[in-house]
This record gives sequence, C-alpha cells and structure tokens, in this order.
Amino acid sequence: MSAASSQYGEIFDRGYDHYDGPRLGQAHAIWALARYSMARSLGMRRPWTAKIIPMLLYGAVAIPVLISIGIRAFFPAFEFLAYPEFFGAIFLLVGIFVALIAPEMMSSDRHDRLLPLYFSRPIGRGSYVVAKLLATGLLTLSMSLLPAVVLWLGNGLLAQEPLPALRSSLPDLGRIVVAGTAIAFYLGAIGLAIASFTGRKSVAVGVIILGFVLSESLSIAILEAFRDQPDLARWSVVISPSRTIATLVGQLFGEPDLGGDLPFNAALGVMAAVITICCAVMFAWYQRRD
Amino acid sequence: MRSEPALPLSIETAGLVKRYGSVVALDRVDLAVPRAAIGLLGPNGAGKSTLLKILLGLSRPNGGSARVLGRDAVTDGRELRMRVGYMPETDTLPDNATAADFVSHMAEMSGLPHRAARQRAADVLYQVGLDEERYRLVKGFSTGMKQRVKLAQAIVHDPELVFLDEPTNGLDPLGREEMLDLIGRINRQLGILVVLSSHILDDVEQVCDYVVVLDGGQVVASQPLHVPDDDTADLHVRVDGDPGPFLKNLEGLGLIARPAGIEFTSDEFVIANDGERTLDAIRDAAAMTGSPLRLLRPAKRSLEDLYIDSVGAGANGARDKRRTSKR
Repeated sequence: MSAASSQYGEIFDRGYDHYDGPRLGQAHAIWALARYSMARSLGMRRPWTAKIIPMLLYGAVAIPVLISIGIRAFFPAFEFLAYPEFFGAIFLLVGIFVALIAPEMMSSDRHDRLLPLYFSRPIGRGSYVVAKLLATGLLTLSMSLLPAVVLWLGNGLLAQEPLPALRSSLPDLGRIVVAGTAIAFYLGAIGLAIASFTGRKSVAVGVIILGFVLSESLSIAILEAFRDQPDLARWSVVISPSRTIATLVGQLFGEPDLGGDLPFNAALGVMAAVITICCAVMFAWYQRRD
Repeated sequence: MRSEPALPLSIETAGLVKRYGSVVALDRVDLAVPRAAIGLLGPNGAGKSTLLKILLGLSRPNGGSARVLGRDAVTDGRELRMRVGYMPETDTLPDNATAADFVSHMAEMSGLPHRAARQRAADVLYQVGLDEERYRLVKGFSTGMKQRVKLAQAIVHDPELVFLDEPTNGLDPLGREEMLDLIGRINRQLGILVVLSSHILDDVEQVCDYVVVLDGGQVVASQPLHVPDDDTADLHVRVDGDPGPFLKNLEGLGLIARPAGIEFTSDEFVIANDGERTLDAIRDAAAMTGSPLRLLRPAKRSLEDLYIDSVGAGANGARDKRRTSKR
C-alpha cells in the first residue's frame, strides 16, 4: 500500500499486493482451527444469545467452588466440598457443556457445508479431527479441571501455613489433573463422535443427552439383571459414562463407594478405549471421500 | 490470443477415470491445458465438478493421473492446496460469522500468520467490493455479497490458481456482470490463473482464453477460445434482398452455400473456402445478379459453434439454452 502526501491529506492506493510472507505448517492450521472452533462454541464474536448458555454453565461450576473457598476462609476446619464430591457434582454440568459445544464444533461445519472449503486447504482430514478434539478437550478441561485446580489452590492458600499445605496436597493435585483430564477427553470424544454424524445441532444435542441418560438406565438394568453374578455385574459401569467417571474418581480419591467396584486401572482403561474408539470412528468417517 | 502453448501446463491429466458405483463420471480424461483463464464447460452431469474435486485432491480417481501446476493432485495434495484456491458452487458460509472473521480464518487455514491473515482479509474484501460490509454478519448478506465473500476466501492466501465452480449461480444480471468483471480482473490484473466451471457459455466466453468441454465424462474439446484468423477458414456471406438468384449463380460457378448456424431463417450463408477462386466467384455472382454484398468475412468459430459441434446431440437446442442462459 503506498501513500501520497499532500497539504490536503493522504491518498492511499489499496491495490492488490501478492503475499510474500511466511506460510506456516500443519500445526499452525490445526491451532487456528481449534482456536476458531473454541471461540465460536463459546459464542465469541457472535450475538449475545450464543454466549448465554456457556456462561451460565461456567457460572454453575464456579459458584460451588467459590462458596467452598469462602466457607473455608471463615471456617477453616469445615470442608464444604471435597474433591470426589466436586467431580460427582460437576459431571452433569460437564455433560451438558459437551452436549452444547460438540455439535457446535462438528455439526455446524456440516450444516454450513464448510468441509469442502476446509479440505481444499492444506489441512488434512485427520488434522481436522485432531483440531476439533483439541478444541473440545481444552474447552471441557476449563470446566472439569480448572475449577478443581482453583479449589485446590484456595484450600491450600487459606490453610494456616499455605506453602506446606500446598506441598503436602500435591498428590491431590495429581489426582485432580488425572480425573479432570480423563473426564474432559472421555466426554468430549463421545460428544464429538456423535455430533460428527449430523449437520443438525439440535439432533446432536438431543442424541448426546439422551445417550448419557439411557446409558445410565441400561447400566443399572444390567447391574440388576446380573446381581447374582457379581463378577459380571461390576462391568455394567462401563456402559454408563457417569458411573465410569464415578468409579474412576472414587478409586482415585480412595472412596470406592462413589462408583462401582472396578479397579482404577480398569476404569481408566475403559475410558481410554472409548476415547480411542470414538477417535477411530471420526478419523474413518472423515477420511471418506467421494 | 493470450494463451501461450509453450508455457508450463496448469492442468494435466492422463487416462483419468472416476466411477460412482456403476456410473462412470469421468471416462479416460486426457488433458494438457496451458496456463490461461480456463473455462470448464459442459451440460449438467458432464463431470465438471467431479474433475474439479479430483484436481483439488478432494476426491480420489479410480484410475489415471492428474497434475495441477506440475504437482500430482493425489500424492502432493497438501503442497498443491497451498497454491490453489477454491470457490465451491454451494452456499458454504457460516451465517453467524462476519465476513472479515471468516475470510481471515480461511487465510490462517492456508498457513498465514494471524496478523497477516487479518490484513489480507481486509485487503481482499476491499478488492471484491465488501470493504464497508466486512464486519457485518454473513447471514444479512445478499446472494451477490455471499458470492463475493466466497471469492475473497478463495484468493485471500494469494494462490497461483483458483477453481471457481459456477460463480454466477443465483446472481441477477447486474450481479453476474460484476462477478464476471471481478473474475476477469483477478486473472488479468492480479495474475491469478482461473479455472471457471460453468454451464453458461457467455460466462466462459467473457472471461476465458481456453476452453475444455466435457460431455458424458469425456473431453470432447480442449482448445484456445480465440483462434487467429485462418486464410482457409470458411467464408460468411450476406447479400441484400432475395439471396435466391445469388445462390443459384454461385451454384453455377461450382460453389455450394449453406445457411450459417442452425437457424435456417438466417440471411447469412457459409461457403467453403477454396482460396482466391472462391473470392472471385462470390464477387462475380454478386455482380451478375446485382445483389449488394453486405458481408464477406472468414468464419470464426464461436464458443457456441464449438459447444454444439462438440457436445452434438446432447446439445439439442443449445442456442435456446444460451438464450435462456443470458440473464
């Protein structure tokens, strides 16, 4: 762009210039897509109506954490919200959050027919799925992990001796990170896999929520049906995401009564297997060409 | 003629085959297209969109090879897609995004850093005439404005070649003229090669230097659109008044005249050119019958003629089609 100065001002020639700057690689494209998808899912640069539900859900997760920290500040001996209870309490909110953002991530692109545009760019089909997984995982982590970390920090900093308290509760932080990350990617992968099959957001939201509810009922029915065969019945938890998460959190924080009696490794293995299957389905689905 | 056969090829295919079940969409397509503004022409279902998808690496061929700008469309797809742009036929814009956000995002998807992408998006939207509207949501745009956004995202990363699939779809006559003018500028002023897929002859004729005609999945013509005048080309003749005596006299001189085009009511006739002897005979026939000679010129094959000759029976009523295509 060139400018010609005169006593009256400047006239800019906005002629077309060829681009000779850097062209970045796949990682940049993946991050660009993930960032754009996250912003759109949270309603950024969109009408205010698109921001309401995500903000309400963030508020719903933050309020108990803030209340717990507040109570801790005034009554140090009283523990209002333990970590296992926190994860049990937020499962529903994280589930709704995933049901909300996963269709925004996947179904919107199908609905707006953006896939041919994306795939005519250097980003590959596999990279597209990776970007969406990254975006969903990061957003869900902000619901499942971030508030728990804030709770941990609050508990530590409000102790009589903050630094030793934080140091001694580092194992709790490790458990929080494991639980929060597992929940984020487990629920995120399930939500994305379902949403990738339809271009209609309302259908995807309905199927995801219905799937979570029905899986819970089915899991309980199987548990009842095999009550006289405890070795089989204990595996009924794997059908239900909520019971699988409860089992993982219970085993992780030493409160096995929270979920089923599957060992921690088995619960984590089931979640890893579900994440792998969902990713494989999405990769296969998006590799389909005409 | 603007196309230079000696320049490197923009599109090269050899024995390209694409099947959808039992339907053969592309049947051994061989192309060697020079760097030019290329028109991809053919009736609906001729295989134009399928060819574009293969050239972009969006679809895999069942056989044969395809190269664009010297790169294999199947094996070098990623590298190729950094150098080409694509404007699809369908409505492919997110309603709840502003034009600036979306075009900038697509620039980043092509590898441009964030700041450069924002700047390029603003510049390109200005070039396509959406400077003032770039911060408005796309859902409030007219069809013509949406087409311009689609064009902007196709060229925002400064590609060497841009594929345009039916870019004038849904536009009113004024919008269509503006879009064609814009495409012409992209090619001539910005130096971006254009592949324009269309079923509208006028669109291709207005913008392109080279035409590829597909019919039934096969290439039926691939040639420059504007051929130089040829001394041996047939001659077009028109006389004032009743042409009967003139034509009879020509016949007596051994020349057969046939009506030009397929409209037998035309007062223009075509005569096979046999050199100087033919010109002398026409002059003599006109003089002997007293018929004022109003037109005598070498026949130029229009795109319409080429299309009719190439597509043949499939183009029945091509002139009617052209008329209805003129919006």
